[in-house]
Amino acid sequence: MSTAGALDRTRPPLSEELRPLELPLFHRFRLDNGLKLLVAENPKLPEVSLRLILEAGAAAEQPELGGVAELTGRLLSEGAAGRSALEMAAWLDRLGAAFGASVGYDVANLSMHFLSDVSDGALDYLRAVVREPAFEEEEVARVRQERLDEIERHLDEPAVLADLRLIRAIYGDHPYGRPAGGEPETVASLGAAGVAGFHAERYVPDGAVLIACGALDARAFSDAVALRFDDWTGAGARSELPSPASASAGGLILVDREHSAQAEIRVGRIGMEYAAPDFFPATLANAILGGLFNSRINMNLREDKGWTYGARSSFRFRRGAGPFVVSAAVESAAAAGAFREILAEIQSLVKRPPDDGELRLAKNALTLSLPRQFETPSLVTRKVATQQIYELPEDYWETYADRVEAVTPEEIVDAATSRIPSESMTLLAVASGAEVRPMLEEVGDVSVENAESG
Amino acid sequence: MSHSSSPPPRSRDASEVSFDFDERVLDNGLRVVLHEDRAAPIVAVHLMYHVGSKDERAGRRGFAHLFEHLLFQGSQHVAESEHFKFIQNAGGTLNGSTWFDRTNYYETLPSSHLDLALWLESDRMGFFAPGITQEKLDNQRDVVKNERRQAYENRPYGLAFETVLRMAYPEGHPYRHPTIGFMEDLDAATLENVHEFFDSYYGPNNAVLVLAGDFDAKDALRRIDRYFGEIPPRPRPASVEVPPPALDGGRRGTIEDQVHVPRVYLMYHAPSFNEPDFETSDLLSHLLSDGKSSRLHHELIYDKRIAGEVHAFTWPTECAGMFFVVATARPGVAAGSLEEAMLESISGLRGDGLSEDEVEGARNRARRVLVQQLNDIGGRADAFAHAAVLRGEPGYVNDAFARYREVSLKGCAGLASEIFDDTRLVALHVVPATEGEEAE
Repeated sequence: MSTAGALDRTRPPLSEELRPLELPLFHRFRLDNGLKLLVAENPKLPEVSLRLILEAGAAAEQPELGGVAELTGRLLSEGAAGRSALEMAAWLDRLGAAFGASVGYDVANLSMHFLSDVSDGALDYLRAVVREPAFEEEEVARVRQERLDEIERHLDEPAVLADLRLIRAIYGDHPYGRPAGGEPETVASLGAAGVAGFHAERYVPDGAVLIACGALDARAFSDAVALRFDDWTGAGARSELPSPASASAGGLILVDREHSAQAEIRVGRIGMEYAAPDFFPATLANAILGGLFNSRINMNLREDKGWTYGARSSFRFRRGAGPFVVSAAVESAAAAGAFREILAEIQSLVKRPPDDGELRLAKNALTLSLPRQFETPSLVTRKVATQQIYELPEDYWETYADRVEAVTPEEIVDAATSRIPSESMTLLAVASGAEVRPMLEEVGDVSVENAESG
Repeated sequence: MSHSSSPPPRSRDASEVSFDFDERVLDNGLRVVLHEDRAAPIVAVHLMYHVGSKDERAGRRGFAHLFEHLLFQGSQHVAESEHFKFIQNAGGTLNGSTWFDRTNYYETLPSSHLDLALWLESDRMGFFAPGITQEKLDNQRDVVKNERRQAYENRPYGLAFETVLRMAYPEGHPYRHPTIGFMEDLDAATLENVHEFFDSYYGPNNAVLVLAGDFDAKDALRRIDRYFGEIPPRPRPASVEVPPPALDGGRRGTIEDQVHVPRVYLMYHAPSFNEPDFETSDLLSHLLSDGKSSRLHHELIYDKRIAGEVHAFTWPTECAGMFFVVATARPGVAAGSLEEAMLESISGLRGDGLSEDEVEGARNRARRVLVQQLNDIGGRADAFAHAAVLRGEPGYVNDAFARYREVSLKGCAGLASEIFDDTRLVALHVVPATEGEEAE
């Protein structure tokens, strides 16, 4: 086979013309009861992704009912519309469909994935779990116990333990200080009445959004949804925003977990909300600092020092100000050094503003990746859900790349200065105390917590 | 360049999915699979080498994976740490992974940057050696040791699988050790080992290159030949012999870990990815643990309430297949009684315990999972590469739908009787560490 001209390997090939991104066209409908439908056709494969977003997140809970949102989500499929828990399971599994209820602080996100030849059956199933869950006392008691067992099991994971102790230190009594799934003390006291009450109040059509994408006909699919949901009633209950949390003073916490093979470390503080005006500058600041493989923190801790398999940072954007967190699992002997380096990198973002290359990389990583982020039906419904949950502009994804491009280096430095000042960070390590405590004491005053209780 | 054309396109409905592809072999032996999908302006480039942890020698366990890390550290024309940067700067995503039988390197990026991916992959295939240094080896050795700590040693139940493999296979067996390897072996790796390994396994004739996505096949083939065609073939590495698992009695063991509750790992010898019954074996895993109506969910979690989590799965290995059943106890339940209940549930798949309805549901779930695995071009490229490298037939990706559909109740019951042989069972109990003197 002939090759045209000699190949010059000394420089990277130039990019060719970029085909513009075509976002899926969403058909919009609204039922009389307020339920919003957003439906897009993608006939490539015989599959459908569906999400029903409900104002039923953990931030809407009464503090004494902490965990009720999560427990409600789990119990939807444990008996409904005259069918027992086992019959519901057999129904879904015979369809071959997947159903899950993911409950966060802001909303409950019920998601389904199924082959298009069982669409009617899948919608019947969805109708049953959303509108007629049974919440029988016996099943509530069983699932509550499963939840409590699970909470205990998850504490075996150093990474889970680190996240949990960090948010408690940062947020205190604020709702974001407890896990979205609730803590054992309140979960243990939940009963069928509390779950049914939460469901009656929160699982209502007004304020709910159903998003679907896949091998479907938009009009016919919407009719099929309407057939099952247009006589659903319930007044609107948009979740109230949690009040702003008061900033903690920082500090250095050692969660003593004996015989740890590594130190699981976190550096964090209160971050920001999704709808914040400086969302884009802050997102770029994070991409430069720790959001990408080539970000400063990972290049330092992994590619230069070899202390970790990977280090990253992120803003956990919510309706209220979620946390900003830097995470890494580092070798125990490097725990103190890792804290120092992470803090230095955070400071350097202000002292050493991003150069052209860094800025280009961060912007490209966010914008040129958009076609990938909309590739499959389930990715599409996730993106649209984000736009809906945070009440972002209707053309949010269409204009996203332009907004990223418009950010200046000065705005990034401003966002870093105000959103992630290094002096207010809380440092936390889940590690073997005997091994790391002496070296951590050189970093600052250490308050020690027990891994098992506390 | 030899050529074999793909079968004609088939009808597409919910019961059958098929992807057109073209298969070529360059003169230097590089096998190329091209699958056009112009829906989005992106392309997936997967390069899979037929080398994995099973090819490692004693004293160098973990080397194939360490080597994979080094391949991201630059080559003659690509500076250190530039590889990730180039791809992310183009809006792409990338990674690599190492397994028993194969190692892959892949990126999905805007189709306008196809040449960038070809340039990067061909540079590290053809011009790797000048870029590697002792410093890079030492750095990535530390990174990999921290990966072992993070993903295995400091994670609950993290050492279970390597313990099961050690129990299941005799000394020297290629599947006896985990891909991540061992600390002392990682410490022993030298720069000379790096060059030897590259020369033995990283020739174009030991690899499959798959492109999936937005390109014109004819044009892409020209580009591929331009970037890869001049890389000379190497002597084909001798394939490692994988002896069949022993037929004598089973193995039992117990290890302690920093966990609240016990977990039981059962491993059965089962069809490999290359054997005709692989899909039946995989369907048995759906019958056991996929969905709340599956046997283990229903019986262990719902009825008996002795397990918190259950999971059954097959590993699609090239030889010597493995079928795992893993269950985590509820607090207060002993590993022994959990295992007893697991064995009872598993034995329920033998004989006439299964219903047509149950098998139909499992087939439906398996098909849906298959669609989900193949709905992005990255997943499709990986599936083509896996089928091409391990089975020698990328078209298996399309056959899989029909093969799952054709699995019968009788086939399930028959295979269950054959593989769930308790005299060859490998059983590991992971139990909470006994409290020492200093415990509260």
